[in-house]
Amino acid sequence: MEKVLEVNNLSKNYGGLEAVRNVSFSVNRGEVYGLLGPNGSGKTTTLAVILGVLNANGGDFKWFGNTLQKEARQKIGSLIETPNFYPYLTLFENLLIAAKIKNASEESINYALGVANLLKRKHTNFGTLSLGMKQRMAIASVLIGDPEVLVLDEPTNGLDPEGFAEVRSIIQSQAAKGKTIILASHILDEVEKVCSHVAILKSGDLIANGRVGELLTTEDLVFIQSTNQDELFSALQMAEMVSRVTKVEDDLSVVLKKPFSASELNKFCFEKGFVLSKIMLRKQSLEAQFLELVK
Amino acid sequence: MLKKLFQIEKIKALSYPAFKTLMIIHFLLFFLVVLIVSQVQFSIPGFSIKKLYQFPNIWQFFPWVASWFNLFLAIVVILLVGNEFSYRTFRQNVIDGLSRNDLLRGKLILIFSIAVYTFLMVLIAVMLFGLINSDDYSLNAIFGRSYVLLIYFIQALGYMCLGLLMAIIFRNNALSIIMFILYFFPIEPIIRWIFEAHARRYFPIKIIANLTPMPEFLTMTSENTINTSTGTSALDFQEIGLTIEPLSKGLNVGLAVIYILVFLGISTYLLNKKNL
Repeated sequence: MEKVLEVNNLSKNYGGLEAVRNVSFSVNRGEVYGLLGPNGSGKTTTLAVILGVLNANGGDFKWFGNTLQKEARQKIGSLIETPNFYPYLTLFENLLIAAKIKNASEESINYALGVANLLKRKHTNFGTLSLGMKQRMAIASVLIGDPEVLVLDEPTNGLDPEGFAEVRSIIQSQAAKGKTIILASHILDEVEKVCSHVAILKSGDLIANGRVGELLTTEDLVFIQSTNQDELFSALQMAEMVSRVTKVEDDLSVVLKKPFSASELNKFCFEKGFVLSKIMLRKQSLEAQFLELVK
Repeated sequence: MLKKLFQIEKIKALSYPAFKTLMIIHFLLFFLVVLIVSQVQFSIPGFSIKKLYQFPNIWQFFPWVASWFNLFLAIVVILLVGNEFSYRTFRQNVIDGLSRNDLLRGKLILIFSIAVYTFLMVLIAVMLFGLINSDDYSLNAIFGRSYVLLIYFIQALGYMCLGLLMAIIFRNNALSIIMFILYFFPIEPIIRWIFEAHARRYFPIKIIANLTPMPEFLTMTSENTINTSTGTSALDFQEIGLTIEPLSKGLNVGLAVIYILVFLGISTYLLNKKNL
């Protein structure tokens, strides 16, 4: 699969503070790649470095197999932190600047404003918009020129639930078109619902990296009940397929080793003489794993 | 690419209220001064106000008056560049696909465009007032000293490039304007004072300001007046160290161009070196 972005041992310091430390990851074409981490974990700094607005102190990165050239930049639509526009220019004039830089047509401005639901405000000054509208304007700017890659840093900041859903829908529709999307967020639900891959950052270090599905299934929880819970508990503690078993109220919570599944657990219990009155699979939420990882 | 950068800068500048206001003030102040002075009825033997408005004296007088308002041009540049940092739009422009050198090229196009505008403004004023007030319409009289306007053009570039450098160093409109003005007075004059008289002539503001000195016609008249009233000549001033011989016109222009290149060189270095 073609690598769109390759980051190798990237480091960035602010004076004595190491904001990003030897971070490496790669993003393939068509992936929706999440950068997840609490505030101050280095997500925005990482994105700002790979977009060329901050200079790295170490490591390197390649876009489309090369260093960041002007041609590569024009294939990338980006939103970093807050929307950055001229408050005294209208939405159209602001997007016209972006369109000229990206060699995009004026029609793409109307398309982008339409997608962001801002077409009626085309001739309004950016400075007069509400926070949510400014964020939607930033999304519109990202879409100018139909870029191959979207880099979005906290795109739902300042949005109401309706706006939140709209932005999520825009991201999903762009992903469905085969665009590569890099999404930095501290909202786990957003990453879990939108991303195919995720990298988790903590204090500038990359601490986990992989497919969202894989990260989640490694921590599948199976809640089971039987007539003899204590004996079952002892049996499961000895079982090879079980990574961890704990008592949770009336249930036993079982974490299975890979690649064992809940049906294999059921079979194992039956073979040991336990009839399960309840078996319920629950994927441990990304939030729980995230908190576990970053604590 | 240059056309694209010009179009982008045009959108940024022409819709910026402060740009329009300052450029209108600049235009009005220049024309008010030349109109008001033209109405003054003053003459002494060998000098009359009307002579300032005649070819070839007008080529020196009008650029000299226009140079009083170069500060406005520098402030316009500081505001337009400072805004890019305040609104973080330089950052956005880079994210969208411009290189950092493109950012500087765009601002250079802006500076050059403003300098061309002021050049044309003074040129039109010179031709208008000169043709109305002159007695001698020979080509030599009309265009004899027109080179002064080109020197004024370089001076306007110099002030605006220094404004650009200040805005890139301080990244804040108010601070950049304050530091720009403070550099004019008292920072550079104090630094100049430390050096001996001959070295003082080579400082950037001194060099750039001296590009459009008071017209010779007025200087000679002042000297005549001093001679008449005190009996002291310009030569006497030089001998007692109150004044120093100015640099030749060619050397002054050459040094001004070098300073402009230095301002641009430092601006390029800082814009590439520092985070956006």
